[in-house]
Amino acid sequence: MYELIKHSAWKFKSILKSKHFSLISIKMLPLSLLKTAQSHPMLVELKNGETYNGHLVSCDTWMNINLREVICTSKDGDKFWRMNECYIRGSTIKYLRIPDEVIDLVKEDIQAKSKNRNQQQQQQNRNTNNQQNNRNFGGKNRQNQNRNRNNPNNK
Amino acid sequence: MENTAHLLNEIDKKLMILLRDGRTLIGYLRAVDQFANLVLHRAIERIHVNDKYGDMERGVFIIRGENVVLLGEIDREKEQELNSKLTQVSVEEILDAQRREIESKQEKNALLRQRLKQRGINNNLMLEDND
Repeated sequence: MYELIKHSAWKFKSILKSKHFSLISIKMLPLSLLKTAQSHPMLVELKNGETYNGHLVSCDTWMNINLREVICTSKDGDKFWRMNECYIRGSTIKYLRIPDEVIDLVKEDIQAKSKNRNQQQQQQNRNTNNQQNNRNFGGKNRQNQNRNRNNPNNK
Repeated sequence: MENTAHLLNEIDKKLMILLRDGRTLIGYLRAVDQFANLVLHRAIERIHVNDKYGDMERGVFIIRGENVVLLGEIDREKEQELNSKLTQVSVEEILDAQRREIESKQEKNALLRQRLKQRGINNNLMLEDND
């Protein structure tokens, strides 16, 4: 059993390392891409075939979405409705089509985030080092004080 | 992890995806999650009618997982082999062919329904048009 777990962990690691497995794919989820697409125009098709064209206002983890300046098209594409805003329940969605540039946006986002994380980590490392140093100095000082107290020659 | 790993293996590969409404999408899989929601990059929608097919550029898709019937990697070599049997036509032509195919199917169904009715069978469930 342990061997099996070890093997699958190794397999997953090797997948992560392989060049086909791009960095963007590891950290980007479909819903985070949707979040990045906020304020962009998009096309939403529902399971019943109706399509909604509009700008994304907001979305949540259930894929429920708010759209602005919407044009709704019937299944056959012969009827149209315009509305200022609409809310679509996530479970009724078939797919969303978003502009190409959002993929590049999400790449930049991830790079910026990982940079930030590295900087924070470095900062934290520095802080912990400093704390350790301070502790060491404190200890030495205390020792010195003790030595001073115990050593009558110093007086 | 093991179960989703199979989808992770497909990432950044060129895939064909069949949706529940019968549509075929082809593109590069960029992301998946635990619901099998998919992100398809540089996607095209391909329509087949008999031995002809037509492609439409579609860009980036976020597909809700529950609408996916199946997906699979496209083998480059076999793709070329297949292209010698199928002929690519323009979008207008394939849309026209698809419309005619649907109409002829509906006509056949209507005729069949009529014949069944004449014989005292009225089972519309059998003949429901599948989208």
